[in-house]
Amino acid sequence: MKRILFGAVAALALTAGFAAAEYPEKEIQGIIQWGAGGSTDTVMRSVTPHAEEILGGSVVMQNMTGAVGAIALNYVAEADADGYTLLMGAENPMLYKVMGLGDRDYGEFIPVSLLARGTPLLVANNDAPFDTYAEMIAYIKANPGEVRFGSTGPGGLPSVVTAMINAVEGELDVIAVPYDGDGPALTGLQGGAIDVMPAVLGAAIEAVRAGNMKALAVVDLTENDKLPGVQSVAAVSPGYATYLPWGPFFGVFVKKGTPDDVVAKLSAAYAEAAKNAEFIELMEGRGFTLMGISGAEADAFLSKWQQGTAWLLQDAGLTKASPEEFGIARPGQ
Amino acid sequence: MTALMDFLTVLTQPQLLLLVGLGTFAGVYVGAIPGLSVTMAVSILISFTFSWDVHPAIALMIGIYMGGVYGGSRTAILLNIPGAPSAIATALDGYPMAQRGEAGTAIGVTTVMSFIGGFIGIGVLALAAPFVSDFALKFQPRDYMLLAILGILLVGSLSQGSLVKGIFAGALGIAIGAVGRDPLTFAERFTFDLRLMEGGISFIAVMIGMFGVSEALLQLHHVDKDAVRQKITRIVPSLATVKKHLPLSLQTSSIGVVIGALPGTGGDIAALMAYDHAKRVTKNPEVPFGKGAMEGLVAPETANNAAVGGAFIPMMTLGIPGDAVTAIMIGALFIHGLNPGPMLMIDQPDMFWFIVGCLVAANFFMLLFGLTGIRLFTKIVEMPRSVLIPLIMLLSIVGAFAVNNSISDVYWMLGFGIFGYFMRHYGYPLGPVILGVILSRLLDDNWRRAIISEREDLGRFFEGVVTSPLSLVLFVAVILVFVSQTPVWRWGKSKLFKES
Repeated sequence: MKRILFGAVAALALTAGFAAAEYPEKEIQGIIQWGAGGSTDTVMRSVTPHAEEILGGSVVMQNMTGAVGAIALNYVAEADADGYTLLMGAENPMLYKVMGLGDRDYGEFIPVSLLARGTPLLVANNDAPFDTYAEMIAYIKANPGEVRFGSTGPGGLPSVVTAMINAVEGELDVIAVPYDGDGPALTGLQGGAIDVMPAVLGAAIEAVRAGNMKALAVVDLTENDKLPGVQSVAAVSPGYATYLPWGPFFGVFVKKGTPDDVVAKLSAAYAEAAKNAEFIELMEGRGFTLMGISGAEADAFLSKWQQGTAWLLQDAGLTKASPEEFGIARPGQ
Repeated sequence: MTALMDFLTVLTQPQLLLLVGLGTFAGVYVGAIPGLSVTMAVSILISFTFSWDVHPAIALMIGIYMGGVYGGSRTAILLNIPGAPSAIATALDGYPMAQRGEAGTAIGVTTVMSFIGGFIGIGVLALAAPFVSDFALKFQPRDYMLLAILGILLVGSLSQGSLVKGIFAGALGIAIGAVGRDPLTFAERFTFDLRLMEGGISFIAVMIGMFGVSEALLQLHHVDKDAVRQKITRIVPSLATVKKHLPLSLQTSSIGVVIGALPGTGGDIAALMAYDHAKRVTKNPEVPFGKGAMEGLVAPETANNAAVGGAFIPMMTLGIPGDAVTAIMIGALFIHGLNPGPMLMIDQPDMFWFIVGCLVAANFFMLLFGLTGIRLFTKIVEMPRSVLIPLIMLLSIVGAFAVNNSISDVYWMLGFGIFGYFMRHYGYPLGPVILGVILSRLLDDNWRRAIISEREDLGRFFEGVVTSPLSLVLFVAVILVFVSQTPVWRWGKSKLFKES
C-alpha cells in the first residue's frame, strides 16, 4: 500500500512538475486516419519531420484506417491525454455524428494545428458533352438522369459539393456512382465510367494539366491561381456565396485534458514546421491553402465548418440524424 | 541516349546500387515473414528517407518491393505459410515438394522464375507502358466485376477433392470480406453493433491464422516424428528445365503484367489466375497439381513478379497507383518535390528511366540473394517439430499484431487458425477462403457501381456487356470457364473424342 501510494505521489509529481518541462521524454505516436499514400498521409509525413526537429523528440507515424477514420479517432480518444498520442486527421470526424458514424468528433480534441485546407474542383471526362460549369448545368437539366457523378459515400467531399450544387441550382437529376476514395473515382473518370467528379484540386491538378480530364469550375469564390482561366462557380451563380469558401482540411489533434504546456509546445512546433519553405512549396504546388492556425481560432474554424456542412447535408436529406440533436446550430443563428 | 544514361544511373553509382541491394535483401526477409508486408515497409521508409535525396530513397523502396514480392514464396514453400497473399498459390505445390525433401529445388525454380517474370514485367513497363495503361483505363466497373467472377471460378482449381467443400470455403471467404462498414455507403454489415467489427476483419490476419496456426496445430499430430531430410542436390534449375517451362512462364507473366497494371487488382489475384491457367494448359504434369507440380510454382511466381513492373505502368504514365505499394511511392515522389502524374514522363523522363534501372538492378539482386543461402533456409524444415511449432506460433502472433498494431487482429488470427485447423481436418480447402476474401470487395463494389451507373436497369446492364468488346470477351470467358467445369462439358468432350 505504502509503495503504491508512493508511486502515485511520484507519478503525480512527475506529471505536474518535471514531465512538462521535459516533454517529450519518450516517443510520440502519430496516428494517421487515412491510408499510406493518400492526401492526409502525405501532408502529415511531410510536415512532421520538421516538427520533430523543433520538438527535439521523435514522432512515430502509423496509418490506422477503417470506418471513415473513426477507428483512428477512437484509438486516440481512448489513449491517455498526455500528449504522446497525436491524431492526424482530415475533416471527416466533424460529420460522424450527423452521418451516424460515431458518437465522437473533434469536440473531444484540442486542435494542435490546422495545417491547410483544399479547394474543391469540378472535373469532367474529356468526352463529356460540356466544357464549362454553366454548360454542365444546362446539359443536366436537358438530360435528366443521364450524367454520372462520382461520389465517395455520404459525407465525403463529392456529396457535400453535390448538395451545394443542388441547393444553389435546384435539384439536379444525376446518378451518383460510389467509389472508395477520390483516387479510384478519378481513375474511373478517365476511363469514362463516370462523367463528372468533384475532387480536391490537388488530386486532379496533374491530370488536368496533362489534358487527361477537363476542369469545369473551381468550387470557390474566386479563380485559383493554380488553374488560371478556370472560372469559379460563384462567378456563374452568386448563390454560392452563402456556402463558400468550403473545403476539406488537415489537422493535428490531441485529446482534451492534455496539459496546456504540452499543447502549447506541440502547437508551437507544428506552427514553426508549417513555415518550412519545402513544406510550403509542396502544399502550394498541390493547390492547398495554408492555414497554420490553433487555439481559439482553430476552434472557431471547426465549429463554423461543422455548422455549415452539417446543415447543408441535413437540408439535402443526406444525414442520419439532425444536427440539432447534437447542439450544432444552423449557421447565422 | 539520355534515356540510357538515366537508366544506367543506378548501375554507375555504387551508393545507389548498394541501396537497391540492401533493399532487396531486406525485402526478401520482410516478405517472408507473414504479417510484415512490403506496403508497411515502404510506408515506414517514407519517414525514414524523408531527408534523403529522391534517388536513394526510391532505390531503397524499389529494392524492398522486388525482394518482398519474391520473399513471400519462401515461407510458403518451407512452412506452408504464405508470407504474403500473392504467395498463396505457391504454397499449393511448393510445400508438397518440401515435404518430399525437394525444398532446395523448389526454391531454386521459384527464384529463377521470379527473375524471368520480373524481367518481363520490367520489359513491358519500359517498352509499352502507354499502351498498357490505355488498355487498363478501359476497364469499366462491369469489367472488374466480370474479372472478379472469373476469379471466383478459380475455386474449382484451388479445391483439391470436393468441389462442394471448395464452394463452401469460397462463400465463407466472400462473407468474411463483407464484414465491417461498407466503404461506399458506410452502412454496417455483419458487425453486430460491435465497434471491434466496424473496421472489418483484416484479411492478412485471416490468412496468417488459416495457414500458419492451423499448420502448427496440424503438425502437433506428428510432433514425435522425425522431420523430412532435405536432399540438396541441385538448386539452380538446369537449362532444360527452364526451357521446358518457358512457354508457360511467358503466358503467366503476361497475365501478371496486365492484372498488375489494372488499378484495383494486384499480384495476389494475378498469381491465383496464373496458377489456374497453368492447371488448364498443362496436359501432363510430371507430378499432379497440388502434389508438388513444378508448373504450380512456375505460374504464380512468374505472375506475381511480373505484376511489379505492371503496377508501375499506370503509376508512371498516369500517376494512378497500380497497387498499394505504388500508391505509397506516389506519395514519396510527391514529398520529394516531384509531381507524380501524367506529366512526370514528359517533364522528368529521367525519373522513369531511373526507376526502370532500379527495377532491373533489384531483379538481379533478387536472383543473387535467392540462390544463395538456400541450404541454411532448408534447415528450417529439418528442425525438430518441437522447435518449429512454437516458432510458427510466435511468428503468426507477431505478424498478425504488426498488420495494424492491434491486439484484436491477433484474436481474429487465432480464431481463424483454430477454425482453419478443423476445416483442414474435415477436408475443406483453405485456398478458396482467401480467394473469397480477396475478391469479395472487388466483386461487390463493382457490381454496385455498374448497376447504379445503369440506373439499376438489368437490361441496360446486359446491353453494356454485349456492346463493349472488352466486357464481351470477359463474359464469354466466364461462361466458358464455368461450363468447362460442369459434367455436361466433360460428357460432351468424351463423346467428341470417341467420334474423332
